[in-house]
Amino acid sequence: MEYFGEQVVNGLIVGGVYALIALGYTLIYGVLQFLNLAHGELYMMGAFFGFFAMIALGGPSAAVVPVWIMIPVMFLVAMGGGAALGVAVERFAYRPLRKSRRLAALISALGVSLFLQSAALLLFGARVRLYDTGQFIDLTSGFSIGSIRIDVTEIMVVVGSLLLMTILWFLVNRTQQGRAMRAVAVDQDAAVMNGIDIDRVIVITFALASGLAGAAGVMSGLLLFPVDQYMGIFAGLKGFTAAVVGGIGSIPGAMIGGFIIGVVEALATGYLNPTYADFIAFLILVLVLLIKPTGIMGKKVMAKV
Amino acid sequence: MSDDTQRDEAAQASSRGIGTDEWVAQHEQRIATSTGPLGAIGRWWLGLPRGFQWIIPLAIALLIPFATSNDYIIRIGVNLGLFLLLVIGLNLTVGYAGLLDLGFVAFYGFGAYMYAFVASPQFGIHWPTWLAIPMVIIVTGLFGLALGTPSRRLSGDYLAIATLFFGQMFLVLAVSSDAVQFPWMDEPIDVTGGANGITNVDPFAFFGFTFSSVTSYYFLLLGLIVVGVVATLRIHSSRQGLAWRAMGEDALAAQHMTIPPVRMKLLAFAVGAAVAGLAGSVFASVQLGVFPSTFKLPLLIMLYAALILGGMGSVPGLVVGAIIMVVLPEVLRFPDYSNWLFFIVLILGVVMTLKRWKPILAVFAATTAIGFAANGIFLALGVPYLTTAEWAEGPLAPVLGAWVFMPEDRTLYGNIAFVVLLFAIAWMTTRSHRTRLIALPFVLWLAVFTWEVRLLIEPSVTRQLLIGALLIILMATRPQGLFGKPRVEVL
Amino acid sequence: MSTPALSLIDLTKRFGGLTSLDHFSLDVATSEVVSVIGPNGAGKTTLFNVITGVYKPEEGKVLLNGVDLTGMSPEKVAQRGIARTFQNVRLFLNLTVRENIKAAMYGRTKASLLESVLRTRRAKSEDKENEERVLDVLSFFGTRLQGYRLDQPAYSLSYANRRRLEIARAMATGAQVLLLDEPAAGMNPAETKEIAEIISRLRAERGYTIVVIEHDMHVVEGISDRVIALDHGVEIASGSFDQVATDPAVIEAYLGRGAAARK
Repeated sequence: MEYFGEQVVNGLIVGGVYALIALGYTLIYGVLQFLNLAHGELYMMGAFFGFFAMIALGGPSAAVVPVWIMIPVMFLVAMGGGAALGVAVERFAYRPLRKSRRLAALISALGVSLFLQSAALLLFGARVRLYDTGQFIDLTSGFSIGSIRIDVTEIMVVVGSLLLMTILWFLVNRTQQGRAMRAVAVDQDAAVMNGIDIDRVIVITFALASGLAGAAGVMSGLLLFPVDQYMGIFAGLKGFTAAVVGGIGSIPGAMIGGFIIGVVEALATGYLNPTYADFIAFLILVLVLLIKPTGIMGKKVMAKV
Repeated sequence: MSDDTQRDEAAQASSRGIGTDEWVAQHEQRIATSTGPLGAIGRWWLGLPRGFQWIIPLAIALLIPFATSNDYIIRIGVNLGLFLLLVIGLNLTVGYAGLLDLGFVAFYGFGAYMYAFVASPQFGIHWPTWLAIPMVIIVTGLFGLALGTPSRRLSGDYLAIATLFFGQMFLVLAVSSDAVQFPWMDEPIDVTGGANGITNVDPFAFFGFTFSSVTSYYFLLLGLIVVGVVATLRIHSSRQGLAWRAMGEDALAAQHMTIPPVRMKLLAFAVGAAVAGLAGSVFASVQLGVFPSTFKLPLLIMLYAALILGGMGSVPGLVVGAIIMVVLPEVLRFPDYSNWLFFIVLILGVVMTLKRWKPILAVFAATTAIGFAANGIFLALGVPYLTTAEWAEGPLAPVLGAWVFMPEDRTLYGNIAFVVLLFAIAWMTTRSHRTRLIALPFVLWLAVFTWEVRLLIEPSVTRQLLIGALLIILMATRPQGLFGKPRVEVL
Repeated sequence: MSTPALSLIDLTKRFGGLTSLDHFSLDVATSEVVSVIGPNGAGKTTLFNVITGVYKPEEGKVLLNGVDLTGMSPEKVAQRGIARTFQNVRLFLNLTVRENIKAAMYGRTKASLLESVLRTRRAKSEDKENEERVLDVLSFFGTRLQGYRLDQPAYSLSYANRRRLEIARAMATGAQVLLLDEPAAGMNPAETKEIAEIISRLRAERGYTIVVIEHDMHVVEGISDRVIALDHGVEIASGSFDQVATDPAVIEAYLGRGAAARK
């Protein structure tokens, strides 16, 4: 029972990270009806950006600033860098394809994905990086639920992801820009005719989505997941699965989906062969696609024939 | 359409009299009126009778094994043949039916393993080739059907993801099936050889002739490709081909015109899979082994890149796309060859974009000047560097050595140059024609610098980088590829 | 009384809370031309979608020559003999005129993929037949879609020619019942007259049974044996053109209650 609890808790923590990635997918799909297959690479870049910010500040062992400054800086760099990269990708790779077929945009996304992975390899080298969080955070501190330990980093990740999700929800549902985003998501042409600047909305969407992905990257690193140029592939696909399971285009759906995938994966790793755990996420994805493609919170969209 | 083309059209339309259809901007017409050496080559090529256009490449392909005894080159030919066969299969599924199958490579692997199962010491079965190959084709086709069935109601993005999953799943299965425990057996058996794969696969043997040399496989593949090309051409205007293409255009309208979507989808999967399976069996026997690392995502992306670069649905496009995708990485392996290729492409690119002699010469002159200026700046800054002898190779060495500054810390400066180059190119695309022209020499110098200092020595990363960039640029500027026809979309 | 070519019995289609078709019934005799009119949103295109199987009706039946086709998928409905055109022309734009028409002949031919590749006798003879049918179908439209036009992509056609091609494509399926969705939309008076003539000739020369959705009353007046007026999914009038055009319920639906009172 304890073991089960441990897995569930681990799953929820990692699930928060997946949820952030899923939110990125869902935001972009909601506004553009486009699956940004390269989204995982922005998560990967975020992890690298955060790592180099840490190194620049002397970390992990000889930080020149206190931890409570270094970590927010890492997040800011990763999120800012991620957002900038995401906006650039939209501007140069996707914007020219707005009027083309779906296939063209998907292929371009494949190209972006490949390009970013190779660029990371070229610029950062093939060495796998580790955040080595233990050097600047006391991992023994934290608290316990029964005999399940939750250390400070994990608390930070959970709090951070919930915080970001709340901020996002607020931005989308309570601000003018958020309303514009929702309008574009429902009917692009009508939104244009109502004076909404589509380009700006799309840029903001990509910035938000990629910023979240960047944050997820740093969190992943802090949780001691290895950082290399391939980390985006699987994480991206799991994030995508979470978005689809929750209902692509639905923000609460992405959050729920993230936690579900995290927990299921943790249970699968704990009770089954870890190699297959990666594919549990895929299996769920395919099953959902076949049984209820609109996901948990998704709505059926009727197209006029 | 560009302004030039529209003007041409209008002129030609009015010269043919009122009421004539205005749509005249055909490929051949543009070649007829275009100037310069490329236009001349285009005119000559199109002037040849249709048959010759096929015979010439075929003749070249037939002669290559006789022109060289270098086994390595023939091996590249074999790789090209396998790749082209796969692209032909992929073209049917993606190019005609418009089904984005990202798990295609799994069919290739499946075919290879199937052949290895019946023609290797793995299970001690050694079927004769004439039995093994048809079996592989049929079984892989059925496998394609099996994969297509759960996916039949998916389309577009979702189909892509689902097939991607299946493809990855296959790979995991192949790698981890070296100790499969069947309930009725006492001990686990080694099905796929795990990560090491299966070795000592039997070579092909027809009518007493054993395919023992690479050259024999080369000719076999050439024959298969001829068959594949002819089949593709016939499928193009066949009942099923038209049905697929109609589906790719407007699936709902096609359905209303008696075309059964599910059946056509499954057929596309099955046929594509069967072709890939055939390629797989050839692969297994020429390699004399099956290794799971072959069937990974990078191969799939290369296949797609070839298909898109050449132009989906265009048969000459497939061939050219495949040639570029297979030969290019080989060239990249040899720094002096890839250097030549780089400069040729760069110069060609500038010539084709600028078209007129004056700007071309001005740009090259400016680039050269910038190069020397940059050298001066680097020297003044005291950046440690390598002498020409220490880094330059090949016939171009003296020129390069004099013109390109080679810092000692290639990685650092190369990386910086790379990032600046990306920014510069991105910035350029947002500027007016004039600004671009002025910035071009600087960007060109930067490109050469980045190439020589950094990219040249990392061929595998560079190849990925180039393919990724190629896909992005192609989709944004010329989505129909080199030989495809520009498509009209209704959204 | 012979079996009606097309029999719609009590068709009801709901989308959530919205009832698009409410127990709609109609019998169309062989070689009859029936026009369906009504304000936008009345349910006319939904009617076509239900007949061709895009939507499954909640209640009711669709019979073709007495055979129940209700809820069959669109390709089966087309193969059985009902073809349609679309409100916003849906051609295979990047295919040539010839290919557009030949693609629609899928259901009438039998050659398998292998046979096509090997160019067996059956494949060749079917292809020859198809080529002849292409010319036959296009000859219906006079000199409009002839000669070099056949091998040009559909996107190069003018709007009016696209509408004609769409009708030709529907004919090519071998169907005997045609559902034309606003065939004259967007056409100038000369083209409209031509379309009306084509519809009349389709019935007179080839015996098609035709149901037309139209807004242009000149067309409706010129071609219809019967007119059905639809509003909110319900039949509000039916009869000859004159009867329906002066029916107060129809006037009210189009122009509002005040206008109906004034008539």
